[in-house]
Amino acid sequence: MGVGSVKEVGPVQAEQMVLNIGPQHPSTHGVLRLKVKTDGEIVSEVIPYIGYLHRCFEKHAESITYEQVIPFTDRCDYIASMNNNFGYVVAMEELMDIKVPERVEYIRIIMAELNRIASHLLALGVYGLDVGAFTPFLHMFRDRERILDIFELTCGARLLYNYMWVGGVSHDLPRNFESICIDFLDYFEPNIPEFNELLTKNKIFIERTADVGVMPAEVAISYGVSGPNLRGSGVKWDVRRDEPYSIYNKFDFEIPVGTGEYGTLGDCWDRFWVRMLEMQESCKIIRQALKTIPEGGDVHAMVPKKIRPPKGSIYRRTESPRGDLGYYIISDGSEIPFRMKMRSPALTALSVLDEISAGWMISDVIAILGSLDIVLGEIDR
Amino acid sequence: MRAYFTTIWESVSTLITGMAITWRHMVNIRKGSVTLQYPEERWPRPERDIGFDQGEYNVIRSRLHVDMDDCIGCLKCERVCPVDCIKIETHRVDKGEDIPDVGHTGITSNGTKKALLVTRFDIDMTECCYCNLCTYPCPEECIYMTGGPNSEKHQIDYEFSQYDRNDMVYRFAKETSEEQVAIATGENGEKK
Repeated sequence: MGVGSVKEVGPVQAEQMVLNIGPQHPSTHGVLRLKVKTDGEIVSEVIPYIGYLHRCFEKHAESITYEQVIPFTDRCDYIASMNNNFGYVVAMEELMDIKVPERVEYIRIIMAELNRIASHLLALGVYGLDVGAFTPFLHMFRDRERILDIFELTCGARLLYNYMWVGGVSHDLPRNFESICIDFLDYFEPNIPEFNELLTKNKIFIERTADVGVMPAEVAISYGVSGPNLRGSGVKWDVRRDEPYSIYNKFDFEIPVGTGEYGTLGDCWDRFWVRMLEMQESCKIIRQALKTIPEGGDVHAMVPKKIRPPKGSIYRRTESPRGDLGYYIISDGSEIPFRMKMRSPALTALSVLDEISAGWMISDVIAILGSLDIVLGEIDR
Repeated sequence: MRAYFTTIWESVSTLITGMAITWRHMVNIRKGSVTLQYPEERWPRPERDIGFDQGEYNVIRSRLHVDMDDCIGCLKCERVCPVDCIKIETHRVDKGEDIPDVGHTGITSNGTKKALLVTRFDIDMTECCYCNLCTYPCPEECIYMTGGPNSEKHQIDYEFSQYDRNDMVYRFAKETSEEQVAIATGENGEKK
């Protein structure tokens, strides 16, 4: 046996094992099935299979009126329903050329930013759970609960709000809202350094996430990844500032980007860190909005009696906690939409999973998936 | 050698940091921040002070209730429901006249004369998505979530449960037989 005989056999290859993660798996954040091809512990390919939560949102929207669509947008991204409502009503108002009262714009932004904090709290807490830290999860859920209480006080619902209407919001803010909201912010902002001490700067957590699942900026852009995942790769892009909708241009806030502080730029830790910083920025926006919100006026003043947009189409994108959320609406002049398309940021985030997790171990795939912060309700719609 | 001890120091210090926070929270445990014994005790619902009449701003998402004496059968709530959980059947009757046989009052508490007899008003609360869309268009303000404007009459009921799924279908219309309806609507009472 010499060198020649090895050539005849060809390169030595161990048997690949196909492993199914999901659909019912606690780390897939919903019902997602990952077909993982592994060579021992090393992952060579990850194929996501989606559709387990498909509820025909887009097709169903073609048979219901425009105002009935809003409760269904709630249920797409059920972690951040306010932001989903926001995207839809912004698109509809531009299509119908409605100018909403200024107070409504402020209320919407306060609600959207509060929900962004709630969504990030869930994402970060569950990410800690994914990589094996249980305590931060309870701390973050404790604070998220207070935000949900504020929502319940405002509109009666805790998760699926149907709060933003085309041309207004369903309820005006309660009279004592400002003090309640400031109380929450005063309580919440000092908690962020505690989260950092507890989880972000924890050596075990850093070892687990830094340098893992590196997503370079070119990969992120070519896959269409947006939101905190894109900013984690160091790209300063935020729809709120670069294509301002509503009245976001009135507020002063930073766009945090990943720096690769503990590892490479665009790793899991960076994506985590960007979310942590974004919560602080959201707090800043809410404080500014509470200071300058105009008093009085009817929040239903510009709500049309019948929503019947003129013929035409609109695509408008907004910044949801997961990224660039777009609604494409075609109207044929009747009361029901002719076509409705929702561009979901979580779907693009999931599509990049295969690219960035090849070569890592199975347990790292869980960490990478968690850092992308996907919501299956939005992916399948 | 130096790196070896640095690693040991880092792992020990990071554990101590985390434990210190947990310990601090355990010592400074605030009154009430423990698990509530749910059915016996529960969080209070947030008090909403909006400075307006509660009738205009019902924020509570609980069980739907219909005041049948005020319902004029306009079908607005049925049409706006995105999940079609409200089912209504009506019959045309003499406008504004009481029909005591089927418990039909001719005039609502707002003074509107009713022209329709509602023989079926079912709300399937298993299908309801609590979007609150049906309570807004009602011209007589007779459909609302319990605990809202008429909270003295209808206590808030948000944790309702039943043993049978069929019991979740709430039938608000008074039960009427076909003969009763035929008498109430006249002999050739046509269905609307």
